[in-house]
Amino acid sequence: MRNFQQNLAKLEAADTQVLGVSMDSPFANKAFAEQNGVAFPLLSDIGGKVVQEYGIYKEYDKFNTKIPAARRATYLIDTNGNVVDMQVDADAVDPTKTVTLCERRKVKG
Amino acid sequence: MRKIGIALLLGCCLLTAEAQTQKESAPQVPKVKVGDVAPDFTLVDQNGQPHSLRDYKGKKNVALAFYVWAFSPN
Repeated sequence: MRNFQQNLAKLEAADTQVLGVSMDSPFANKAFAEQNGVAFPLLSDIGGKVVQEYGIYKEYDKFNTKIPAARRATYLIDTNGNVVDMQVDADAVDPTKTVTLCERRKVKG
Repeated sequence: MRKIGIALLLGCCLLTAEAQTQKESAPQVPKVKVGDVAPDFTLVDQNGQPHSLRDYKGKKNVALAFYVWAFSPN
């Protein structure tokens, strides 16, 4: 989420709202946001209803237990509510493509 | 020589254990794809404020960034 924070001004200038989503509690997200200077909303999908609906649910085997969480994924949704781009896993880490797409949409008006 | 043998054996054990902890279940295949209408939701942020996707309709693009867990490096 730090990568998105670093690009937040550019995304906002291109009329784009950044929303982070994970299956963490709001308390964990608050601590995470404060420690990393995240200024956009980090949404809490406890139980993973939205994560499952988007189809990016995954059980991670860590510490000898299965931990349910979201896969790393970025969806770019236009003002009509349609998905115009998606990136999953390692591809979703760097927001450069998302920034470029948003800036191009802004120019097109 | 014997010490090297033991060290190698230990190394192998550690590698096997590491491989086992890294083994992960098959992830879900994305259901929402490019061209789809993004399913609406209402979720609460880190300050207790609710956000719905429909709030931004007709106003802004939304970069919906799912992350694995808080404090993950990216």
